[in-house]
Amino acid sequence: MQTVRITVNGTQYEEAVPPRMLLVDFLRERLALTGTHVGCTYEGVCGACTVHLDGEAVKSCMLLAVQADGHAVTTVEGLSSNGDLSVLQQSFREHHGLQCGFCTPGILMNMTDFLARHPEPSDDDIRHGLIGNLCRCTGYVHIVKAVREAAKTLAGGAG
Amino acid sequence: MFPAQIEEYVRPTTVAEALAVNARYDEGDALFIAGGQSLMQALKSRMARPRCLIDLQAIDALKGIEYSDGVRIGAMTRYVDIAADERLRGRNAALRDAAAHVGDRQVRNRGTIGGSCCWNYLASCTPAVVLGLGGRMHLVAADGTRRVVPATEFLIGPLETARRADELLEAVSFAGATDRGGSAYRKWGLVKDALPVVGVCVCVELDAAGRCSAASIALSGLAAGAQLAPAGAALLVGSSGDATTLARAMDAVAAAVEAQSDKWASTAYRQQLIRTLGADVAATAFARATA
Repeated sequence: MQTVRITVNGTQYEEAVPPRMLLVDFLRERLALTGTHVGCTYEGVCGACTVHLDGEAVKSCMLLAVQADGHAVTTVEGLSSNGDLSVLQQSFREHHGLQCGFCTPGILMNMTDFLARHPEPSDDDIRHGLIGNLCRCTGYVHIVKAVREAAKTLAGGAG
Repeated sequence: MFPAQIEEYVRPTTVAEALAVNARYDEGDALFIAGGQSLMQALKSRMARPRCLIDLQAIDALKGIEYSDGVRIGAMTRYVDIAADERLRGRNAALRDAAAHVGDRQVRNRGTIGGSCCWNYLASCTPAVVLGLGGRMHLVAADGTRRVVPATEFLIGPLETARRADELLEAVSFAGATDRGGSAYRKWGLVKDALPVVGVCVCVELDAAGRCSAASIALSGLAAGAQLAPAGAALLVGSSGDATTLARAMDAVAAAVEAQSDKWASTAYRQQLIRTLGADVAATAFARATA
């Protein structure tokens, strides 16, 4: 066991974990933050477990919890504030950017990081940015639209 | 799918400290972890079962790109940082081509040039580009001994390198920008940015008259691992990069290569990919050399 101090969604947690514990399992099983999903069998292909590590999108099945010691993690639970959805979340709601919703947490986390770095993306940019997130329902059309509209809203200073 | 028991996880802040921990273990019992985008897969599938993991994330000396006479890229420099560095141009532009299309954004936020070279997976872009650009691998041993190994000697074959068990890769270096150097890399995979079924890197140097004075071609995705294609490269030398010459050179590459047939592509299809991608990549390399 190794003691880690990881700040998750602004709260610091101190936990003793075995070194082999994956970050995604730490979030889901230790902290009960089950918004971070496991869509594949931890092969790193589906992107549903995407979280932010110090503000950058990473797959939490591709990291050990001990590697996040001393770092800040944001999960989908940390996107809204005081019950208000983020601009991107609101846009997914308005533009039907999900069907079953299983992939949505990972997509929201990836695209939140993406929009911070690419404030005026083309549809091609958005699609390229989404490669690491599998959605088996939507065909991505509404997802791309939701991201595009969120970018416009953010650029307009609203939200 | 999760890793077997790991006894110890350490996060040193210096190279010396990392090598000292490594030296406490028998060969193979301690593994360095860089970005982990390959190694974590091996740990989870239990292909690798180390007793100790030495995480290199906190060693700042291994990060960043330095420009002096040449270009030195720290082993822990991530794809996202390589892809974004506009100073990598001309003869080193292929590094950005490759880094910008490894996996996906999440992978590029973690994966490193050093990790990819030391893992030397056959279906990966970085080793082929490092080979094609004449990269040099900077290694340091536990006793402080440093040596520089050309990529041609370092990259032995799939999952095999010349790095000794007591050594750490510190950096990969390349010749600096020249007036008339150009390179490019492109791959073909089953979906965009997927692992290369075939990838081609071309690097050329032109003389004052615009004729090619030196050329190299490297391939990714082949069963024998990243490899140079010298016969094809020789045909580029002396030319000005006209379409006929490029096609002839890539025909020669495709004819000389041992391309495997597997569930992703047949031998003939791989050869066709080499011809098609290769001519396009070579044209881009020539264009960049004259830009």
